[in-house]
Amino acid sequence: MILVPFISLFLGVLGAFFLVGPIKGEAGQYLAVACLAGLDTILGGIRSLQEGKFSNDVFVTGFFSNVIIAFSLAWLGDKIFLNLFQVVALVLGARIFTNLSLIRRILLTKWHDARERKRLESLASQPQAETSRS
Amino acid sequence: MNIFSNQYRQNKNWLWSMSLMSALLGFMMMMAWVTRESRTTRIDSTDADQQNRVLKGSIDIQEQYLKVSEEVKRLRADKTKLEEALAKNDNGSKTLNDSLQEAKMLACLTELEGPGLVVTLRDSQKPTAIPSDAAIHDLDVLRTVNELWNAGAEGIAVNGQRVTTNSSIRCVGSTILVNDIKIAPPVRIEAIGDGKTLSGAMSLPEGVLDVMRRLDPAMVNIELAEKLRLPAFAGSTTRKWGTVPKETPK
Repeated sequence: MILVPFISLFLGVLGAFFLVGPIKGEAGQYLAVACLAGLDTILGGIRSLQEGKFSNDVFVTGFFSNVIIAFSLAWLGDKIFLNLFQVVALVLGARIFTNLSLIRRILLTKWHDARERKRLESLASQPQAETSRS
Repeated sequence: MNIFSNQYRQNKNWLWSMSLMSALLGFMMMMAWVTRESRTTRIDSTDADQQNRVLKGSIDIQEQYLKVSEEVKRLRADKTKLEEALAKNDNGSKTLNDSLQEAKMLACLTELEGPGLVVTLRDSQKPTAIPSDAAIHDLDVLRTVNELWNAGAEGIAVNGQRVTTNSSIRCVGSTILVNDIKIAPPVRIEAIGDGKTLSGAMSLPEGVLDVMRRLDPAMVNIELAEKLRLPAFAGSTTRKWGTVPKETPK
């Protein structure tokens, strides 16, 4: 079940490889930034899934708006000779790191909790066994 | 232990949206990928330091430098040999003759033998939208020869006419002239050099032969040759206007 998004990621790569191929010129460069935005949104989605706050509408609209904003900011930067390209890359890079570290923390906490619960359950069952014997 | 179990119950729809967006992301990533073809078009839109990184892959200056220094070494050795020959007259004539033979070879005045590539261009038999597209033109031959020189060919002959520094490839009416001698299609271009490199240059996407291949694949035929023998240039070598300057410029 968790593998399904990964598989579809590869399907997307294969689809683009056979249908379009890498695109040339500035558009490709802007699309590279848009990819960062997409990656950030997907990681954000996984995080909110962990936190139990995931909402389909927010996720899908967020994906498209982030991609479009990143793409057009990079484009605007070239038009007004500001390096907005790097600004976008920097901000999105930082957000990707934050999202990844939060996902890691949540998963670690859940794992610890589960282990602790198991230990307590086994502890709870032991004295019961003793009392029933005596 | 399933850490995702709570969320599965909370949001049943997360999987399809996540997968869909992942597929889109993969699609975009592939389109943004930098390849050999898209590299050159992307360079202008990157920063100076990024440009350097991207350019490094395509031009290996170190290699070029080594090649040039090797050439310089060889030329210096030649020079010494000639100087020695001038000093000692007894075996001088032989050395002078060797260097003369080499100059003649470079001027295409001798036959040339070696491995290489044969490119055959034919008029198309298929009906085309523009009738003149089906024929092989002088420009097609000229471009192919040019591309072969660029790919490192050491000698080229077109239908038995050696291509030299003075050669011309043009047309009068519907016939192609090479060195002012009429040739008839199919045009057979023989080139001596590294066959693999030459055939690579002939098969470049958007290369010289690509337009013809797209029109009709039968128009172009490329085959590697183990051993080719190019004829010597048989035309006039008289020079009326140019002379070699006697003194070196200061």
